[in-house]
Amino acid sequence: MINAIEVDDLRKVYRSQAGVTVAALNGVSLQVPEGRIFGLLGTNGAGKSTLVKLLSTCGTPTSGTARIFGFDVVRQPLEARQKMAVVLQQSASESLLNVKDNLFIYAYLHGLSKRDAKARVSRVVEEFELGELLTTAVQELSLGTKRRIQIAKIFMLDSPLIILDEATTGMDPMMKRRLMDRLRAEAKQGRTILLTTQVLSEAEELCDNIMILDKGRAMASGTLHELRNRSAQTFRVSLSFGDTNVDIGELLADLCPADLQISGRNAEMLIRGGETSLLEKLAAVSRAATIQEFQVRGATLEDIFMDIVEEVR
Amino acid sequence: MTGAGAVFYRDYRQRMTNISLVFWDLLAPVAYLVLFGTGFERMLGTTSAVAGEPFGYIAFLIPGVLAMVTFGVAMNTSWGFFTDKDSGIVYEMLTYPITRYQILLGKIGFNLLLAFIGVVIVLALGALAFAVPLAWRSVPMVIVVTVVATAGWFAIFTGFAITLNRMDTFNAVASAMYILLMFFSSMFYPLDNVPMWFRVLSYLNPMTWQVDLLRFALLGIGHPTALIAEGIALTVFASVCLCFAVRSLNRVA
Repeated sequence: MINAIEVDDLRKVYRSQAGVTVAALNGVSLQVPEGRIFGLLGTNGAGKSTLVKLLSTCGTPTSGTARIFGFDVVRQPLEARQKMAVVLQQSASESLLNVKDNLFIYAYLHGLSKRDAKARVSRVVEEFELGELLTTAVQELSLGTKRRIQIAKIFMLDSPLIILDEATTGMDPMMKRRLMDRLRAEAKQGRTILLTTQVLSEAEELCDNIMILDKGRAMASGTLHELRNRSAQTFRVSLSFGDTNVDIGELLADLCPADLQISGRNAEMLIRGGETSLLEKLAAVSRAATIQEFQVRGATLEDIFMDIVEEVR
Repeated sequence: MTGAGAVFYRDYRQRMTNISLVFWDLLAPVAYLVLFGTGFERMLGTTSAVAGEPFGYIAFLIPGVLAMVTFGVAMNTSWGFFTDKDSGIVYEMLTYPITRYQILLGKIGFNLLLAFIGVVIVLALGALAFAVPLAWRSVPMVIVVTVVATAGWFAIFTGFAITLNRMDTFNAVASAMYILLMFFSSMFYPLDNVPMWFRVLSYLNPMTWQVDLLRFALLGIGHPTALIAEGIALTVFASVCLCFAVRSLNRVA
């Protein structure tokens, strides 16, 4: 299988105005096979957007290499860009122009003929419900609608790689759902998708492979299953108690959960330790108060993410 | 559509959203020609000896006004980079499958369209309204000088517009350039009688090179040897400015 993205020991060092050097990326390596959805997770300043900038040829790495379908982003930037459609973190639009001009100009700037552009504009206008906005200047639209136009633009193209840098920011839930369905369908047809997000549920639902970045370093990477195995000793437990005079908060606090949330007679907690130890702890709780219902799940991506980031710090 | 053609079309559509900007690009030079030219011609007499040749002041001023057109259009168009930076589109454009040169080429093309509209208006006004005897056979030279100078002026302003983070700083730089380059040049007066320090500074000024070349083309004033040197200098200046603009675009992200 061809790798759509190959990154090897990539570093990007910035020098601040005060003369201090900051490593925005510090030796990151990754491979994304064609047709996969790859998620980059990290807090603000983790290096996600820097990596996207370097991959989309908007910056030069300090060292290391990055290739898009075999094209080096430094030495063959045009060939690399011909393989991708990018939605950057900023809401980029031709603010003075109307929606129709925005779509057509984007198509022309990607080398589409007038006839081809017309057909593709009509298609995305229908799909993203932009028909009533065609003659409206983009500067008059909400952030969510501007995002919708940005997303519509990339689906006019056939680029084999789509890069989305926090693309769902400001998007309404319906459109977000539609975008996620569409991305999944595109991946099934062989397009590769690289997305960065801080919304972990999105990555959990969508991504085949995930990399967690922190302070410019790759802290963990793999499939969701592999990352879960890394946190195999972590469980998320939901409990519903019957009538009891016992202080539930105090009772559960004795178990030393990593996280505890109580709402009435319902509780949710994150417990670290082996399965046997967990069952012993729950048995002890059930002796003190009646448990009507309980559920034990493996760690969510958010738990894994927090585990990894806290472990490093 | 080619990359440069698409950029040209984009700039054209953008400028069409506010047609008053086009009038402003062309109005200032025409106003200079009509008001400044008429006033000084009256003061100096209908035919003054300029550089040893008997020309009216309006005839002398026309090449300067043509230079002013290219300079003004470049300054006003490059200002659009601030809108593009604010809207984020300039960063997105750098991810498109077009080269930085194609971006600049398309933008310079649109500048040339505006500049040539201005040049035609000024020349028509000079010939028809003020009966200035222009050497029409030199139109090809006017075209070449206008192309080279427009590219140079637009590129240098583009470099500043991209490099500077604040619009007010850009406005200050552009205004200073406007005043200094226009007045330390042969645009409004011959340099024969100005003090030596003034003359030295003026001959280091690309605006002087452009005006002198246009004046030679339209009125036949100037020394061929000096003009060849000025032509080479103007081409080198435009090339350096283009490199500056491309370098700035590469560093924008």
